[in-house]
Formats: sequence, structure tokens, C-alpha cells
Amino acid sequence: MIRFQGLTKRYGPLVAVRDLTLEVRPGEVVALLGPNGAGKTTALRCLATLLAPTAGTVTVFGADAVREPLEVRRRIAFLAASMGLYQRLSARELITFFGRLHGMDGTALDARVDALVELFGIGGFRDRLCGRLSTGQRQRVSLARALVHDPPALILDEPTLGLDVLSGRTIHDFIARERSQGKAVLFSTHQMEEVDLLADRVGVLRRGELVAVGTPPELLARTGTTNLARAFLALVADPADGEAA
Amino acid sequence: MSPWWIVFTKELRETVRDRRTLLMMVVVPVLLYPVLLIASEQILLFGQRRLASAAAPVAILGDAPPELLSLVDSARTLRLIHITRPPDEALRADTVAAVVVLGPRVEGEATRAVSLLYDATSDRSLRGRRELSGVLDAWRDTLLARRLAARGLPGSFSRPVAVADSSIALPEEVGGYTLGRILPLLLVVITLLGAFYPAIDLAAGEKERGTLETLLTAPVPPGAVVAGKFATVALIGIVAAALNLGSMLLTFQTGVLQVASQIGLDVSLRWTSVVVIFVTLVPLAVLFGALFLGIAVRSSSFKEAQNALTPVYMLVLIPAMLPLFPGIDFTPLMAVVPVAGVSFFFRDLMGGDARLVTGSLVLASTAVYAVAALVFAARAFGSEAVLFGGDDDRAEVNPDAGRWWTALARRMRPGRTPDPQAAVLFVAGVAVLFFWLGITLQVHWGERGLLASEWLLLFVPALVFVRLGGFDPRATLSLRRPSGAGVAGALLLVAGAMPVAWGIGWVQTFFLPIPWEILQGLEKLVTAETPGRLAWLILLLAVTPALCEEAVFRGVLLGGTRGLAPWRIVVLNGIVFGAFHLSFETAIRFLPTAWLGIVISWAVLRTGSIWVGSLMHLLNNGTIVLLASIPALQALFSDPDAPPPLWALPLAAAALYAGVRILAALPGTGDAVQPLIPSEDP
Repeated sequence: MIRFQGLTKRYGPLVAVRDLTLEVRPGEVVALLGPNGAGKTTALRCLATLLAPTAGTVTVFGADAVREPLEVRRRIAFLAASMGLYQRLSARELITFFGRLHGMDGTALDARVDALVELFGIGGFRDRLCGRLSTGQRQRVSLARALVHDPPALILDEPTLGLDVLSGRTIHDFIARERSQGKAVLFSTHQMEEVDLLADRVGVLRRGELVAVGTPPELLARTGTTNLARAFLALVADPADGEAA
Repeated sequence: MSPWWIVFTKELRETVRDRRTLLMMVVVPVLLYPVLLIASEQILLFGQRRLASAAAPVAILGDAPPELLSLVDSARTLRLIHITRPPDEALRADTVAAVVVLGPRVEGEATRAVSLLYDATSDRSLRGRRELSGVLDAWRDTLLARRLAARGLPGSFSRPVAVADSSIALPEEVGGYTLGRILPLLLVVITLLGAFYPAIDLAAGEKERGTLETLLTAPVPPGAVVAGKFATVALIGIVAAALNLGSMLLTFQTGVLQVASQIGLDVSLRWTSVVVIFVTLVPLAVLFGALFLGIAVRSSSFKEAQNALTPVYMLVLIPAMLPLFPGIDFTPLMAVVPVAGVSFFFRDLMGGDARLVTGSLVLASTAVYAVAALVFAARAFGSEAVLFGGDDDRAEVNPDAGRWWTALARRMRPGRTPDPQAAVLFVAGVAVLFFWLGITLQVHWGERGLLASEWLLLFVPALVFVRLGGFDPRATLSLRRPSGAGVAGALLLVAGAMPVAWGIGWVQTFFLPIPWEILQGLEKLVTAETPGRLAWLILLLAVTPALCEEAVFRGVLLGGTRGLAPWRIVVLNGIVFGAFHLSFETAIRFLPTAWLGIVISWAVLRTGSIWVGSLMHLLNNGTIVLLASIPALQALFSDPDAPPPLWALPLAAAALYAGVRILAALPGTGDAVQPLIPSEDP
């Protein structure tokens, strides 16, 4: 289980995330929504042990992100918005490299890489340098890279950013498959249709604060709207802006 | 497999697939250098042959004797022509290579004036002059022999001493000496260039491409990531240098270069020297690799890292070039100067006179610097501010975050003190202004120019900076009335610090002799012969710096660096203050002034009052003027080569101790610092 408990992250005087408490259970997909600057990336980076919380805790299946960062990293697959592929490594070399960093080796690693190549349809370009892949191919390699150690939790920061419909669908299928295998999935997005399609629950951040969390129907009921996009707008509307208007 | 090794092998694989790195690492040293050397040699030889192939046109003006004309005619390298234009015009028009202008004929044993005109900027004319000079020498010898014969004197009469100079150096030693002038700089530069691009690519490049974020989510300690990257950069630096060394030696030693063999140079190196050079390259490559990696990872893009590293590259070139200059010795002190020590050691190894002590010092000190640079790099990889600065929700909250005008505006927020970068930038700007404009003012108006420089180029800019930056003048300039105890402590401290500065100055004369002209100039400047002159010097050299220099150093610089640890504040202040007093001629003022800067800035930090700094500065400078100007004290104190009087040392130590105790015990001195640090709460 992924658990944020009172997470606060400050950058000097700026509070990027304030007192965030949220859980993602095994077999559950939670979408993190919020306008730009709401604190989504910061929260996910705290979870991925890239940033140290100013206050509160983040745990992944019992491992604390501050006290046991390496253990947390073993339990998560982190997919950044930038994909993070090495341009001068082939797809296969890249997946193998991350497998080695996770302590895998020998035939077990080879078998795992082959399985991922098969699963994500990478076979046709597995020996091509990542710098020469299309965006969709790169995203598939990124997913394979993130899953090489078969972790129980997935953290995806805007996984469909810049992808075409077909590539986006690959991601959606992947998330649905991981959920069916009992993985805890937390992803941030601006795409309401994929929230509708995938998310069991939704958390909405505004200026670093979690202003709403619940299933899509619960959010619709709470805001009195008929679709998620309107519900989102209602939830993130700044009261200060309203007063000013 | 160890994580650092996994990272290292991956980085190495990626790097060798990078054309840019391969170009710098392999193509340049292995192919380009030999090709360039051989091509330039061929061009040189071609030019020389072309010059030598044609006889140089020369002219003789005046009443030329037949024997001179005959000598010119018989020289196959010269061709006598007749010129109608004045000789300088003919030389400039290149119609003649050299011209002999003969004075009037003389009778008996008088001397006849002969001028040889040529153009020193023309290779053709230089050759004509050389050949014609030989002919004139032969003519002179003929005339001399005739005169000696007429008097019945032997030829040795005109040569009472026969001098034959010959070098004891063996051809291979001369070859090593020649190599030692060229190769050290090249080796340092190639090692540096070898590490330059990989460091940028593996740090800033990886940040820019977003791969660092992915890498750091793998279960690998940051130290292993740094170690893997650093090992790659260092290895590439070493390989680049080794390839360059091998390529250069092969080029020289295979006899491909005809020039070397023509002038009898044996440019071979002993294999033991080659091994030691290679061993020394290792810590140097480590130093460059770690330093560049540490700087590059603090940049957010490849371009930014390039901009940040280029000045470092230029700075490294200065110590690397020192062995090229005559008169700079390879002392134990020089051996521990970063990069310079390595460059000198290479020179001595190639010349065959390397010594174990200096060599060991070079290796040990370079290893220490390399470890320090490694710590510098490792700290960056452990810092989230460095790794993700400006690339997160902060940038989303404010789209202008990270842009230069926003950063500047942030640094200049009203009601606050400047940040360290802004303060250091201001001091650097003021120093440059003072250096160029201040020197001009002083050259034109002497002491009045110095007075104007202090007030117009230091004091006024400090006030303008505080005013335009919207900073709080009280906080930035420490405008606070000191307590009685603070003043007493500062007085005791400076009373003890002055003899110490004197002692430092005296000790460094053993390593750094004071140029006599500098000494005379300083003495003349601070010595007053009349009461009026004394008052003027006190105003110029004591009161003015106590206000103007304090406004810059204990004002803006100290105010801007208050957020740092106290020891960093005072050391930085001292170093910058010492560096400000450096001159082209000598570095003798650096250490004593830096020491005083440290002492004064600590006192200001403890008391929170710039007036304490002004008082200490005034006392120090005023004392120097008084000691130099009072005849009874001159003999005792005015010889900078003499040690401080022994009786003064215990008194100084006691004063220093008392001053430190009093200032350290001042209550509430932290108030001078803490309120100036903004609260993190929004």
C-alpha cells in the first residue's frame, strides 16, 4: 500500500504540498489531479524518494521513504513525464541496465527482459538506440524499464503526455493489467477521459492541498456536476479569485 | 555486480558512442596532432627552401671599394642591384632585401662608418641582411688583415682572447628540455578537454534529458551514481591524455619531424619518465573529472554547464602555462599549487631532472585536491535543490521561476539583505571598476586620484547598490552602534592582529622576495615629512579606506553572506579583501591583508556594527603612517625585511587573546544575524 501521511513539502517560503494524506491500496488505481503547480509532481517525487518531505511521512508497503529510500525504490516503478531514456543505449540495453541496478543478473535477467520485450511489443526495435525511437516506442520502452523488477507499486507522472491515441491506449491497457495483478497504481494526469476510464478513486490537489478525494461518482455528487471535467473545475476554482471577481 | 560498476560500464558505453567525445578523445590526439605537426613542419621547410632558392637583391650606396663589390659578386646568395629610390622606400616596396650605406672613405687607420638597412618585419629582408652581414664581416677581416700586415703584426694581435662556448647538455637532454616546454601544457589541456564534455554530458546533459531522475529512482545510493560517473569522466581524461602523450612521442621519436633531426635534437623520453608522467596524469584527471562533474551537475542544461565550465577552463590554463615563462622556479611551494605543480613536474621529468621531493608533493597535493573535488561533486548529487532546482512545482507555480530577471528581482527584494551571489557579484564589479578606472585616476592625479577612487568607485557604488537594490541599509551595512565591550574587544583584537600581520609579512619574505621598487614606493607613500603632509596621509590612507573599503567589504559583502556559517563568512571576506589588495607587481600584500580582513570581519560579525570595522581599519592604517613618519620609530619599525621586535610578540598575543575572549563573550551577538534571515513561513 502507498500511504501519504500528513506530507508537507516546502521550498523556502513556498509550500508545494501541504498536509497531504492519501492511500493507494493494492489492486487500486488512484488518479492525482490538479492544475499546473498544484503539487502533483512534488508529491510523486517525495514518494519516489527524490525529494525529502519537510514534514509527514510517505510509505510504500511499509517502507519509509526517508528512512529506507532504497527499499522504497525496490517496491516502486517510477515513470517520469520526461520518460528518461538514455539516447545512446538500445532498448534492450536500457532495460537490462535497470535490471542490473535492481540486483538482477544472468539468465533470470535475460528471461525477464525477453518477457518485457514480448509484453510491450518491443521486439522489432529492441536493438535500436533509444534516441532513434518514436514517441510511442519510447513510452513502451519506458514502461518495460520501470517494470523490470516487477514492483508492487506503480507511480506514473503524466504517463500519456504527448502520446497519440494508439500509444495512449497501450498505457491504459497496461494500467488496467497491472491493477488486475494486484498492483497499487498512482498516476497524475490532466486527461479526464483516462481518469474516467481507469481511476478507482481520484485525489484533487489545489495549491498543494488535497481538496477532494473519492470515487468519480462521489466527486460528481459532491460538486453537483455531470462529468469529471466540470467536477474538477469546480473543485480547483480558487475562492480568492471568486471574491475578487 | 557493484552498483557503481554497473553505472560506470553503462556511462562508458554511452560515452564511446558519443561522436563528440570520441572526436576530442581519439581523433584529435591520435590523428590531428601528428598531421598538424608534420603539415606545419612541411610548410615551414617549404618556406625556408623557397626563400633560399633565390638570391637576395641587395644594394650598396656610397663609394664602394672594388674588394667589397667583388665579395658581393662572389656570394651566390646575393644579387647586387641598383636602386634609384631612397633606401627605406625601396625596402618597404620590397624591391631590395637589404641596403649597405657606406660613409665617406677614410685615410690611414681611421674607422669608416657603414650602415646596414633592412626591414625586421620581412623574412626576405632578414635573410638578405644575414647574408650581407657575412659579406661585410669578410670585408672587415680583409681590411684588418691588410693593416696588421702593414705593421708587421700577427693575426692574433686583434684577438687577444678566443672564446668558444659549448653546452654540456647532451642532445637527449636538450630534446627533453624542448619537449618540457611544449608538452606539459598540451598534456594538461588534453586531460582537461578529455574530461570536459563527458562531465557536462553525464551531469547537466542527463539532467536536461530527464534521465537522472529515472536513474535516482533505482535502488542505488547517490554515492554509487557519482562514483560511476566520475570514474567514467576520469578514465576518459586519462585515456585522452595517454593517447595524446603517445601520439606526440611517436611523432617526435620516429624521426618523422625533419626539423628536430636537422637541428640535432634527440626528442626521446626514458620509459620510466613516461610511466611517471602517466601516473601523475591519474590524479590530475581525477581532479578535473570531479571538479567538472560537480560544477556541471549544478547547471540545468548542457549549454549552462558549458558556460559555467569555460571560465574554469581558462583559469586552469594560467597555472598550466607557468613553466613556459622564464624565471619561475619549481619550488616545494609551487609543487602544491594546483595544476601548476603537475605542469612543472612534467617539464622536469621530460628534462630528466625531476626530484623525488617535489614530485611526491605534486602527487600528494593533487590527490588531496582531487578528493576535495570529489566531495564537492558527491554533495551535489545528494542535494535535491541541485538536482531538481527550478524543475518542479515551483516552476509551475510561477512560470517565470528560473528566469534571470525573476532571480534578480528575488535577490533584490526590498527590506532584505542581498544574497551571497549578488554581494560577491557586486564586489567583483567594484573591483574591476577600481582596477581599471582607479588606476587611470591614480596615474593622472596621483594621491588625489586615489582619494577620488576610494570615494567614487567604492563608497558611492556601495550606497547606490543598497539603495537601488531596495535593501535594508541598516541590516546590509551593519549600521548599528557598538557596545562599549564591543569597542574594547575590537581595539584589543586589532592591537594584537597588527603585529601578527607584520609577522606574516616577514615570514613570507623568505618565500616571496619584495621587489625593491615596490618597497621604495610604499615607503614613500606612507611617510610624511611635515605635519600637514601627515594630516593628508591620515585622511587619504586611514580615514578614507576605513569608511570606503569597509562599506564594500564589511558592509555589502558581509551583509550579503550572513546566511553562511560564521567561519565561511570571515574566510571569504578575508580572501576577497586580500585579493582586492593584489597588484600586478607583487602578491606580498595578500596574506597580511587577508588576515586583517578575517579579523575585522569577525569583529563586525560579533558586534553587528560596521563602525567597529572602520575603527580597526583606521587604527591599522593610521599606525603604519605614524610609524613610518615619526623619525624615532622609523629605525625600529620601518624595515620590512626585519622581524617584528620580540618584546612586541607577547604583548600582541595577550591583546589578541583578550580581544577574542571579549568579543566571543558578547551577549546577543546572534541578534545581528538571525533577524536578517527571512522566515520560511509564507
